[in-house]
Formats: sequence, C-alpha cells, structure tokens
Amino acid sequence: MNKLKLNYTSLSFLPILVCIPLGYQLINNIHFGGFKLFQEFLISAFNPKIDNEIIITIIKRLNETIFIGFFSWLVSIIFGAIFGIISSNIFYKIFNIPKFFYRIIRFFLTIIRSIHEVVWGIILMQIYGINFSIGIIAICIPYIAVNSKVFAEQLETIDYKSFESINQINAPKFSSLLTLIWNPIINTFKNFGLYRLECSIRSTVILGLFGIGGIGTSIFLSFQTLNFRELWTYLWSLAILIILSGLIFKKIKFNTTNKILSIFFITVFFVTILFSFSYFLYFIFNNNFENFNFVNSFFKSSSDLGLFVFLKLILETIILSLLSTGIAISLPPLVIGIFNNNSSKIFIKIFAFLLRLIPTPVILLTLLTFNNPSLSLAALTLGLHNAGITCKLLFTNLDSQDKRNYIAMNSLGISKKTSWLLGLFSQQAKSYLAYCAYRSDIIIRETAIVGVIGSVGLGWQLKESLSSFAWQEVTIVLIAYSSIAIVGELINGKIKNSLT
Amino acid sequence: MNNTVLELENISYKYKNDLILNKINLKINSGEKIALLGKSGSGKTTLISVLNGTIKPTQGEVKLFNESFEELDRKQKSKITTIWQDLRLIEDLSAEQNVNCGLLAENNFYFAFKNLLNISSFKKAHKYMKLCRLHNSIYDKKIRKLSGGQKQRVAIARSLIQESNILLADEPFNNLDPKLITTIKNLLLENVDKNNTKKSPKTALVALHRLDLLNDFDKVIGIRDGKIFFNIKRNNLKKIHLEKIY
Ligand SMILES: Nc1ncnc2c1ncn2[C@@H]1O[C@H](COP(=O)(O)OP(=O)(O)OP(=O)(O)O)[C@@H](O)[C@H]1O
Ligand SMILES: [Mg+2]
Repeated sequence: MNKLKLNYTSLSFLPILVCIPLGYQLINNIHFGGFKLFQEFLISAFNPKIDNEIIITIIKRLNETIFIGFFSWLVSIIFGAIFGIISSNIFYKIFNIPKFFYRIIRFFLTIIRSIHEVVWGIILMQIYGINFSIGIIAICIPYIAVNSKVFAEQLETIDYKSFESINQINAPKFSSLLTLIWNPIINTFKNFGLYRLECSIRSTVILGLFGIGGIGTSIFLSFQTLNFRELWTYLWSLAILIILSGLIFKKIKFNTTNKILSIFFITVFFVTILFSFSYFLYFIFNNNFENFNFVNSFFKSSSDLGLFVFLKLILETIILSLLSTGIAISLPPLVIGIFNNNSSKIFIKIFAFLLRLIPTPVILLTLLTFNNPSLSLAALTLGLHNAGITCKLLFTNLDSQDKRNYIAMNSLGISKKTSWLLGLFSQQAKSYLAYCAYRSDIIIRETAIVGVIGSVGLGWQLKESLSSFAWQEVTIVLIAYSSIAIVGELINGKIKNSLT
Repeated sequence: MNNTVLELENISYKYKNDLILNKINLKINSGEKIALLGKSGSGKTTLISVLNGTIKPTQGEVKLFNESFEELDRKQKSKITTIWQDLRLIEDLSAEQNVNCGLLAENNFYFAFKNLLNISSFKKAHKYMKLCRLHNSIYDKKIRKLSGGQKQRVAIARSLIQESNILLADEPFNNLDPKLITTIKNLLLENVDKNNTKKSPKTALVALHRLDLLNDFDKVIGIRDGKIFFNIKRNNLKKIHLEKIY
C-alpha cells in the first residue's frame, strides 16, 4: 500500500526531468542585451505609474474588459446549460430520441471546444475586423462548448431511479425534464458557473493583447513601448479586479426560494437568449462580407505547406504541450516541498498569483528580452503560467488536509521535508495528478497562444496562413490542432479514470 | 362486477441469464385489493415494475383496460400510481415539492416550473401530507434531511395526490410504527370516507412481508422464484400455502 502511494508521489516529481533539455536549449539561447530591460520590468512592479490620466484610462479600459467578460460569461453560461441539456443522456431518455443525435452533438461540441478562444478570436478578427462583439463571440464559442460539457456531466449524475419514478407519473415530457434537471443545473451554476466569470475576464484580457480592446490592449501597447511602469499599473488594477470579483461571488448566496430573485434570474435568462438571437441575426445580415468569401478563397488559395514542415509543426506542438505539462505538474510540489516554511509559503503564493495574473503572452515577451525565441522558451512560459494554477490548487488541498500524520512524523524527529513528502503530499498526489491530467487538456489548447507569439508550432503557422489569407492552410492547421486536442483529451480521460 | 383492469399474459423477464419472472399470468379486476407475498428476491418488485410499464418484459404482454400497454397514451398510463420500495423521491427537492410532482401529469409545464420555484399552490399537497400524519414543520424540508418514516410517507402522499384508481405499492409500510400503519393502510385501500363523490372503487396490489396486515385484502398472491404459486381468496389462505413460498 505504502509503495503504491510512493508511486503517485514520485510520478508527481518525475516530470521535472523535462527541465534538462529545456534548460539546455534556454542556456544556449541566452543573450545579455535585454537583461537591463528585464531588470526594469521587475523593478517597475514596485513602482507603478499612478496619475490622473492613467487612472481615467484604467477605468475606461476596465469597463470594456468587464463588459466583454461579463456578457461573454452570461451568454456562454446560459447557452452552455442549454447545450449541456441537449447533450445529456436524460434528455434522450425522456424524449426517446435516437442516441445517434446525441453522438453528433457531442462530437460537434468536442471539436469546437478543442480550439482555443484566441484562435477563434484571431480568425474572426481576420474575417470581420476588430470590434467588441468579435471578442464576445470568440470567447462564447469555445466557452459554450466547455460549459455544456460540465453541465452534461452533472446531468449524468441524475439517479436513474428518480427518472423512472417521474416517468411513471406520466407527466408531460418537458415537465419531467425540468423537474429532474433543476437541481443539477442550479448546483452547477453555483459551483462552476460563477468561477467561469473569472475565466472569461482572463480570456478577455488575453484577447485584448491581440487587439480586441479593454485592459489587455493597454497592457500590450505599454509593453510594446517598453513603458513598464504603466504596464504594472494595468496589471495591478487587473489583479484588484480579479480579487474583487472573486470576493463578491464568495459573498453572494443564491437563494432559489426567493421569489423576486427568481423572477429576476428568469428575466435575465430569457432576455439574454432573445438578445443573443437577435444579435446573431443582426450580425449575419449587417456584416460586410464583401472582402470575405470563404468558399471562393478556400479553393483559390493553394497551400505550399510541405508535408514535412507540417509534421514538424505538429510534433513541435505536441512536444510543447508535454514540456509545459511537465513543468506544471512538478514545479509546485517541488518548490513547496523544498521551501517548506511559513515565510517562503507566502512568497510562493504571491509568485504563483503573479504567474496566474500576468497573461502568458506578456510572460513570454518578458522572457524574450534575454532569450531568443525557441520551443523551450514557449514551453517554459506556458508551464510557469499553469504551474501558478496547479500551485494554487495544491495549496488549497494541502491546507484543508488532515495534518495529524505530518505532525506525528515531525515529532518523531523525521526531517521536515521528508515528513511533508510522506505525511502530507503523498496523500494528495493521486488527486493532484488527476487534476493535472485535466489541466494538460487546457495546456494543449493554450499552445496556440504562445505559438503565435513565440513562433513555434501550429499557432505560429496559423498566424502566418491567416495573414496571407491562405484559407486552405488555415483549415488544415485547425484540423491538426483539434485532432491533437481531442486525442490528448482521450488520453487524459483514460489517465483521469485510472486515478479516480 | 368482473371487469379486468390490469392483465399479464404469459410474462417472462430475463436479466442476463437469470429468469426473474417466469411465465406469469395474472388478472386484476376492478376494485380488488390484492396482497402480494413472497420472500426476499422472489420477484415482487420486478412484477410491480412490469405492471406499471417501467420494465418491458422479455416475453408476453401487459394490458391495461384490455389494451396493450404500449399503445396507450400518457393520460391513460397515468391512471396507475406506484409507491416504490426504494421511494424514488427527488432528494434535492423539498417534501412538498416532491408531493406536488404527483400532480405533474394533470398539469402543464408552467405548473412544473412554478413548483420548482416554490411559487405554486401547495394546498392539495398539504392536505395529503396531513392525511399521512406529516407534521407541517417538514413540508419545506429537503428529502435528504427527513427520517426514514417521514420519507416513506412523503412517497405515499405523492402517490395519493395522483388520485389514481389503480395503486401498486411495494412494501409501503416500511419504517412506519403500528399506529401509522393502520392509518396508512386505510388511506391506501380507501377504507376511510373522504367525503368524495362516489368513484369507481380503488384497485390495489400491495407487496407485503407482514402477514398480520392481510385482513383488509380480498386476495392473496404468492410468488416464488418468479413464478406464481397461488392466487386465492384471502379466506382460503392456509398454512400450507405459506409453507410453499417461504
Ligand atoms: N436491476 C437488477 N439487475 C439485475 N438483477 C436484478 C435487478 N433487480 C432485481 N434483480 C434480481 O431479480 C430478482 C428479483 O428481485 P426483486 O427485487 O423483484 O425481489 P423482491 O421480491 O422485490 O425482493 P425484496 O422483498 O427483497 O424486495 C432477484 O434475484 C434480484 O437479484
Ligand atoms: Mg422488492
């Protein structure tokens, strides 16, 4: 038994070996020209620019970010729930629809989900030009698919027996459906839906870096002009926004028995649906499609993407995902284990927060100041950002864990590090690895972001093909992307199952 | 008055390689009160699931009002109400919401919606809960917070509120104390006068383990290993019958 636990523990540390090839390439690529810039970047964190002008800009930019973030959240959560319902077993059982449709919808959603919002964003921007609603649409597309998966999973927990009993009452089908799904839907909204708001604000910021607007755009511009003090003002204000939104949602308690509140929610629900539909129609009929005729340009454009190059890009993307996942898995337990005392803990927490806060493109651009672009650099960036996220989870789990083993071992005179490893972490290792498996699904998708900026893998190719309007190439790259993501998801699903 | 309401014709039910119901023929006439006896695992629950259409038999036909069950519409099927052995309530809803679920069949979608939002009328639900001796302090409690006997009575109230003429009950007296058992038995078999205008008398099939409760039944069916061993008037029940099935 003990041996088995030790296996999960060692599995959490082994992936740190990716640092060997990674470090080798990074060291070879180092250049000292930009160290001063990097230093300046770090120092500016403690000395952000604060004056009236910038505060006004921040308020304006944050408003935009909140606007895009909030509406994409609202629309994606509502349509996520709707698609979740129509891709859940219970729906097909109640309405006696052939399972065939269920598979089609799930497949369709899986493909949509496999492509990151940044990719949707840059494609849509290329087609329609830059505007606000592109940001909302770009976030909504993959978010609806992700949310619908979570809703559908929760709906699978409905007890088959309560379905049978409602079925035996012979209620109208929609009444049965509503009665059965009500609680799972509300609970998913409370436990998962609110957290998604934070995600959609982060996504808005990242899309902002690509020009959609909001605080992200300001961050990008100030980085481009090397205005680091301004950059940090934006970053800190973003931090405040994220912390505040987290706090507000922790305080709010949704009470479904409150009539006025219920009516308010239902109104919001239907207004959002109506609004989305009418906007969708408006969008279709009022957009200028003159400069974009996909079918036409698809067949006209030829691809000079050689098979060899294409395979190399796929391989790069896969290696990038693996390296980043390795860092995201092993770095947090390693660092927490080695620096196992209270003051280091606070320091690690702050550092992890910063890694989560600073959008990956900014981390990458900062690192590019003293390192040439390479696969390893992109992997390091993505790995660090995700390590910030896995680190937070690990801390939360460790803090809420029963510490008796640890204290007992400590009092036996076993070293602090060893007792942390065997008394605390070993019990977490399994569930931690399961979460990391889930996290690596996201890492695969996020390779697109660092790819575009750090000139590696399919992400970079996508940008190139898009800017030359080579739609055939774009399509091929997208198919490759989504295949990698789907295969990755299947493998991770197997891993997760064996861990839980 | 011998009109058949429910009929099983040569019913067999196979699960994997086990024959759980074995060539069952059964006629239930209007107004009959039938007790279903048989030891644990003999197939009582399975038989009830076949009778209410939840389980499709591997072989044979179920008929309700002389028509094949498959061909009936929703309204006709809803003439049967079931009290399940495992209750099958919705754990996250309150007791009164669960009881109101019994009214879903005769109401529209809007009613279901209001019920979940807690803004529908619970008058009828409360009436039946009171008949089941449920205290009004538990009306709005979630099912998962109730005691075993309270849950049992919520399930019974949900069935009674349907005011169906055909009742299938699977060990409905579980978890109840002796006084409650008498009350509930009278409710289920409609021995009490509820000041209702005269309807057709209630037909009931109740799976039981306790032989001392047989008094109010007209007929007794004994089942063993998925086969009906006897189907007789209660007055004719002898010790020898019971020895066969237990
Ligand atoms: N879902 C199921 N899957 C497989 N076998 C089942 C299932 N439900 C019941 N059985 C089997 O069918 C047989 C009859 O079960 P049933 O539940 O009908 O018995 P019962 O007479 O209601 O017993 P009890 O008095 O314990 O409730 C048993 O052997 C049981 O193991
Ligand atoms: Mg049973």
